[in-house]
Order: sequence, then structure tokens, then C-alpha cells
Amino acid sequence: MLTTVADPYQTSASAGKQRISRWRTNRVQEVFAGYLFITPAFISLFIFLVAPILAAFVLIFMRYDVLSPPTWVGTYNLSQLINDARLRDVYWNTLRFVVFATLFNNVLGLLLAMGVNRAMPSIIKYLLRTALFFPVLTTTASLALVWNFLLTQDRGVVNYLLQQIGLAPVPWLSSSAWAMVSVVMFDVWRACGFLMVIYLAGLQAIPEVLYEAASIDGASQFQRMRYITLPLISPTAFFAIIISLIGAAQVFDNVWVLTGGGPGDATRIVVLYIYEIGFKRFEMGYAAAVSLTLFAILIALTLFQFRLSRRWVHYD
Amino acid sequence: MSTSAAPHASHPTRSPRFRRSLWFYLGEISIWLFLIVMAILEFAPISWIFSTSLRNPSDSYKLPPDFWPTAFHWQNYLAVINSPQINFLLFFWNSLKIASLVTIAQLITCSMAGFSFARLRYPGRDVIFFVFLSSLMVPATVIMIPTFILIRMVGLLDSHWALILPATTSAFGVFLLRQAFMGIPAELTDAAKIDGASYWRTYWQIALPLVGPALSALAIFTFLGSWNNFLGPVLYLRSWDNYTFPIAIVMLNGYMGTGNRAHVLAGVMISIFPVLLFFLLAQRFVIRGIAVTGLKG
Repeated sequence: MLTTVADPYQTSASAGKQRISRWRTNRVQEVFAGYLFITPAFISLFIFLVAPILAAFVLIFMRYDVLSPPTWVGTYNLSQLINDARLRDVYWNTLRFVVFATLFNNVLGLLLAMGVNRAMPSIIKYLLRTALFFPVLTTTASLALVWNFLLTQDRGVVNYLLQQIGLAPVPWLSSSAWAMVSVVMFDVWRACGFLMVIYLAGLQAIPEVLYEAASIDGASQFQRMRYITLPLISPTAFFAIIISLIGAAQVFDNVWVLTGGGPGDATRIVVLYIYEIGFKRFEMGYAAAVSLTLFAILIALTLFQFRLSRRWVHYD
Repeated sequence: MSTSAAPHASHPTRSPRFRRSLWFYLGEISIWLFLIVMAILEFAPISWIFSTSLRNPSDSYKLPPDFWPTAFHWQNYLAVINSPQINFLLFFWNSLKIASLVTIAQLITCSMAGFSFARLRYPGRDVIFFVFLSSLMVPATVIMIPTFILIRMVGLLDSHWALILPATTSAFGVFLLRQAFMGIPAELTDAAKIDGASYWRTYWQIALPLVGPALSALAIFTFLGSWNNFLGPVLYLRSWDNYTFPIAIVMLNGYMGTGNRAHVLAGVMISIFPVLLFFLLAQRFVIRGIAVTGLKG
């Protein structure tokens, strides 16, 4: 009797212990597996992202020309930031480029997406999407080279076409006023198809039912656009504006190949300037300092965008 | 451009026939005009490249320009490929090699980390994930200088590893795949666990096949990004034999650009062909890929 009573107790207790220990080994295994699975990504991220950022914060206090060992210069690089008149021009150029490129890319991208999203034969839709998206896929450097050919003042194709319709040729790349226009134009030409696809995805996520309900209620096209499309596209627009802004602030190959930053400093934007400081003047410390200013500006802009987004982005 | 004021009905159902006024037709016409003009503007330079690359090299500066081929000097392409000074096929191979290795590495590291963040529980997971997330905010420009110094210190300047190693993972890819793994039902991975499958096996045989769209999106963007990368090769590559395609084309212009534009444009076309072919075949995937990544961002 006693044994039969004690027996189930004993077995259940040992089973419970076993279960706990199996649960423990399972937990240990899971924790172990978890760390193991992130190890490759983490090592790579640490070496090539976290460490360089930390290094950049040290580097700004140093003078380092790559060849001789770095020396400590205190806040010299930081005071140089304030005194550098060229840096101000460079940021002014960057600002103009970023504002206009982001604006035109997003407006055109949204309009194109609305156009392409209409009812039309699928072959026409296919052709339109291909034509509009194609420059996005092609190597930017090659395309910038091609636009360099097209925009040449004397025997360039664009000026030839302008003259055919009776307009005066434009010094696209050789005048400092027009060079910035050309750089922005090229960026919009190259990237608006990308934004079109992003907006297209946003438009297609809007439930059809809403438009049907609106037309039953007698809403006009304009009202449907104002009260359905725009509010529901706003999260997509927010995302698109942020990524195109950050992307535009870091443009390099466009400008490098199209104008090389010239004429003079007319189109020298900040990444080009950092490249020049770091790899032509070999002032790695100052280059790092300038790049950190860009970092700070981008973070501030993104935070500002998030703050502003509460006013106009509609989440459901 | 001219139609920015035109109200668009962005949904594909037919609008009621009885309400069509003059304004409706004006709107329709301006929308179509806008789309067609934009399509022409976007595509005309590409067809100009193609037409001019087929011209007789001595005519390549001649105006009026062609927007469809009028001559067919396919020799230009052979001349670029067989050029004794410039090993064009080698550049092609370099680009292909780097882009493929980077893509494979990212698919592995990002999917493993994404699986871990989405499906396994361990102390510190959320903190580490936050580190990954916040690194999304860091622009490449900030790490350009320190990374260059690092690469130089370990003696990888002028080697392809300088382009491959820093790109072996991406915070963006980790985030994308974490979201994708979160989307598959927990019952599936739990069932595998109960059946005694190891975590590796659950990842490899159960979870991974279910996140195909996210994987293909990541693969497409990583490959294109690496293929088009310009700043990296400019910083790290020194010798002619190591050059990748984009930088080689720009160099080709400097090298034989004067008077031989047709050859340079043939080089550009060679860089466009694979992308064009790929896009015509996989347009749906690319567009869906952007939709997947775009909305999850």
C-alpha cells in the first residue's frame, strides 16, 4: 500500500525533475542557438559599422595623413569646422540639391504612380513601368557619363534639340548657375522611377471599397483624392521622403561623374568635399569631423520629420 | 509636369459614364500626355546610347542625334571587348564576382540573424536588435574614413576583399528578414521543435523556404547595389586589373573618350544589357521587392 502510494509520487517527482532539466537544456540550447545565429551578422556589423563610428569620434581629435602616425591635436579640427568658408558653400550646395531633388522626386514619383495605377491594358502598363523604372536599375556612373555627353554645350544633344525648337543653347555644365540645375535634373531623371514604385505599392494597398463607398456617396474625383488617397498614402510618403532625403544628402557618383563638383565649387556637395579632404588633402581627422556634422544634421532632420509627421501622417 | 493640377482617380474601376464632362476629357488627355512625355524623357537617353553605340565611330559626334539605330556597327562592341589595352571582360567578371559574393554573404548572415531575432528567445536579444536598428540611421559617409583606415591597416587596399568584407551584412537586410520571419505562423516552428528538429534544421528547412519574397527582394537590391557601387571602388581599388564595371566605364571614357564616343557607349550598353534582360524577365519580382521593402521600412 505504502509502496504503491509512494511510487506514483516518486515517479512524478522524478518526471518533474526530468521535465525541468529537459526544459533547462532546451532553454540553454535556445539561448546558445540564438547567440550563434546572430554571430556572423554581429561580427560584421561590429567591425564595419560600430567600430568605425566609434573610431570617427576619436579621429576628430587627431591629425592623421595616413602615412605618418596620427597625432593628437585636440579641438583643432572642430574649430576648423567653424572657420572653413568652403564648408559653408558646400553645405549650401548640399541643401539646395537635397531640397530640390527630394521635392521633385517625390512629386513626380507620386504623380507617375497615380498615372500608372490607372486602368489600362496590361501591355501598356508594362511598357510604361519599364521605361520609367529603367534608369533606376542602370549603373548611375554610366548614366552620369552619358548625360555628360548629352549636356555638352557646343555639340551636345540637348542643346541641339533646344536649338531645333528655337531656343538658345544653355551652358548646362559650364555655368555655375546651370550646373546645379543639371545635377538636380539628372538625379530626378534617374530616381523618380524608384519613388514611383514605392508610391505605387502604397496606392495599391488602399482598399478599393473606400473608393466605391465614396462614389456611392457622390464624392467627386477631387474629393476622393483629397479625403481618401492623400491621407492613406501619407505613411508611404513619409517613408519615401525620409529615404530620398537621406539618399540625396549622400549622393556621390552622380555629381562626381557629371560635373566633378565644378565649375569651381558650384556643385561640390558634402560627400565630394569629404572625399577631397580625406583622399586629396589627406586630413583624415578633419574629414571625419565633417562627416560627423552630416551625421548630426541627418539625425536632426529625421527626428524633425518624425515630429512633423504627427501633423500630416495618417495612421489607422 | 503640366498636369500637376489634374485630379487623378487612382483606382482602376471605371468611373460612371453619365458624368463625363469636358473637364473629364481634358483631365484624361493631360494625364496621358504627362505619362507619355515622362516615359519618352526617361527612355530617350537610353535609346540614344544604343543608337550611338552602333554608329560608325567617326560619326559618333555627328548631329542630329539618333534615337533609333540608323547604322549597325556591331564591331564597336567587339572592339571594346577585344580592346588590347582594356580588359573589359575582366571588369565584368570582377563586378560579377564581388556582387555575387556580397549577395550570398548577406543572404546568409541577414537571414540567420533575422531568424534569431524573430523566433528565438535569449537575454539581451532586444538590446542587440536595437543596435542593429539604430545602425540603419548611420549614413555610409560617416564610416567611410575610419573604414578606409581600417582596410588600409589590415593591408586589403586594392583587393576585392575591401569591397566584399564590409558588405557581408546589412542592418536593413536583418530588419527585413526579421519582419518576414515574424510573419510565418509560430505553430510551424513550434511543431518542428516538438518533433525534435534542431534550431538549425528549423531555420534551414522550415522557416527559410517560407520567406522567399523577402529573400529575393534582399538579393535583388544587394546585387544591384554592389553592381552599381561607385564610391567603394574609387576609394579602394588602385590597379587597373581590379577595377569593377562602373569605374572601368568612367576610366574608359578618359582613356578613349576623345573621338571614340561610340566605343564608350558600347561599353555602357554592355553594362546595361544584363540589367535590361534581368528586368524584362523579372519585372514583377523587382517591383514586388520594392513594395515589400518599401512598406516594411
